[in-house]
Amino acid sequence: MSDGSSTITPTTLCAAILAAQILGAQISIAQAFDDATYPDLKGQWTRITAPGQPAFDPSKPRGREQQAPLTPEYQAIFEANLADLTAGGEGLWPGYTCRPPGMPALMTAYEPMEIIVLPEVTYILIDHIHDTHRRIYTDGRDWPENLDQDIEPTFVGYSIGRWSDENGDGRYDVLDVETRHIKGPRAYDATGLPLHRDNQTVVKERIYLDGADPNILHDQITVIDHALTRPWIVTKSYRRNPNPRPDWQEYICAENNTHVHVGQENYFISADGYLMPAKRDQPPPDLRYFNQTRK
Amino acid sequence: MRSSIGLIALAAVTIATAAGGQAFDEAKYPDWSGQWRRPADVGNQWDSSKPARRGQQAPLTPEYQAIYDANLKDQAEGGQGTDPTYTCIPDGMPRAMNVIFPMEIVIQPNITHIMIEYLSMLRRIYTDGRDWPENAEPSFMGYSVGRWIDEDGDGRYDALVVETRNLKGPRAFDASGIPLHADNETVVKERIYLDRADPNVLHDEVTTIDHALTRPWTVTKNYHRERSPIWLEAICAEGNQHVRIGAESYMLSADGHLMPAKKGQAPPDLRYFNQSRK
Repeated sequence: MSDGSSTITPTTLCAAILAAQILGAQISIAQAFDDATYPDLKGQWTRITAPGQPAFDPSKPRGREQQAPLTPEYQAIFEANLADLTAGGEGLWPGYTCRPPGMPALMTAYEPMEIIVLPEVTYILIDHIHDTHRRIYTDGRDWPENLDQDIEPTFVGYSIGRWSDENGDGRYDVLDVETRHIKGPRAYDATGLPLHRDNQTVVKERIYLDGADPNILHDQITVIDHALTRPWIVTKSYRRNPNPRPDWQEYICAENNTHVHVGQENYFISADGYLMPAKRDQPPPDLRYFNQTRK
Repeated sequence: MRSSIGLIALAAVTIATAAGGQAFDEAKYPDWSGQWRRPADVGNQWDSSKPARRGQQAPLTPEYQAIYDANLKDQAEGGQGTDPTYTCIPDGMPRAMNVIFPMEIVIQPNITHIMIEYLSMLRRIYTDGRDWPENAEPSFMGYSVGRWIDEDGDGRYDALVVETRNLKGPRAFDASGIPLHADNETVVKERIYLDRADPNVLHDEVTTIDHALTRPWTVTKNYHRERSPIWLEAICAEGNQHVRIGAESYMLSADGHLMPAKKGQAPPDLRYFNQSRK
């Protein structure tokens, strides 16, 4: 103690801790992903909706009562689709052929959702029609210059995200996402609410945990689309499964799909394995390529 | 000074302990990030070191060899044989590891996800020390339990050893229809590791134990890394030209009509249609 070099003073203590923190921070940046910086979105998320086939806006009934702000042209397309559904057709919802719903409908989470948060990318995995591996890039990238020319559009689209710490507690709490470059055909839900066929849709999202209940997740979705007269904003919510080891089940649309699409027509497969009409008085398929001398 | 150093060490340990509960130490795990593709010169056969079809020399039991031979005959006539994936059901395990379309691997301490672009096939390999679950629904990708191993003792894991059970069918090893047993009691064991000489090459040594085989069948799959990938989608149901009606498989013509898949194939039975219409 005589030379003072080993005396512990508040200053040396702070310096030592600071040095260790800097050291720790350097190790952390180089090698480790610090979960404490990001919200805990682990686990299995299930949509919170009314029972039955979910609507795009979970706060309103399905169909016309969604009050989707469609342009007159697309309102007419939607009405024709509703008439087709009433007649036994499948309307504009592509799911019956096992094509994926794409953005933004996939965020309805027809099957449970898993979210993996890494510094550079957030993955959203929904085991529905084996369609949905969303990658939201949070590595600071801009839209690729050649996005429209060189990269094939996809049903999930190309998503860029940005984390923000809105309450200033040193931890991120909101993921803002913008999604572009989406492929069609798409609809908002199974009632066939259409998106514009030009596929210029832009989807903006704010994904955040509920302020009161950390086991509730919200996704505020703003859809900008030429079939709409104004941006359409809905908020979807999801509840976390309390089981730390949830059961993930496969949903294989193509397994036992009884829809058959031939040309422009949709038919059914009967329980005994025969083709049957989906609509009253629907003509059978044209069999011109078969040798009709056989029975 | 000694006390100061001790203090720094203490503080560092404290921080490390705090981080242990919250942070994922990537330094312990191998870097398998990026996009993994099968080598350009590799086809879609199961054992990429051998020619396709009978050249695979799959160790099938006589019963399943006969099933395979009948399948090859059916395929030669335009049928699909015992390859069930033309209806857009997933490859399942072990065939998914053919990685016909690219693969991403995301490693976290308790779980490793394998995402394969084709049909968005997703594998979850649990590395949290769990045992096999009771009463789980079988699935095409199966239930996978893994264990990380530090084989060279350098303090960093280098191999992921995986066992997959609880599989669902129908499945085949590859598009030539090499069958797995209808009892679906397949067990797949894998050892996934980076090439020692080239860290941009990943190997998966896959051993399949199945009642259609006379012995475990071990093959090694190889994948090459793309560091700056573009991820696309491979949606089987989009533009699928196969139509299955009952036990028969037909094709769709370019002009949207049903057509036979085999020579002389009978048209579908239209008994449920009102045939008084044209």
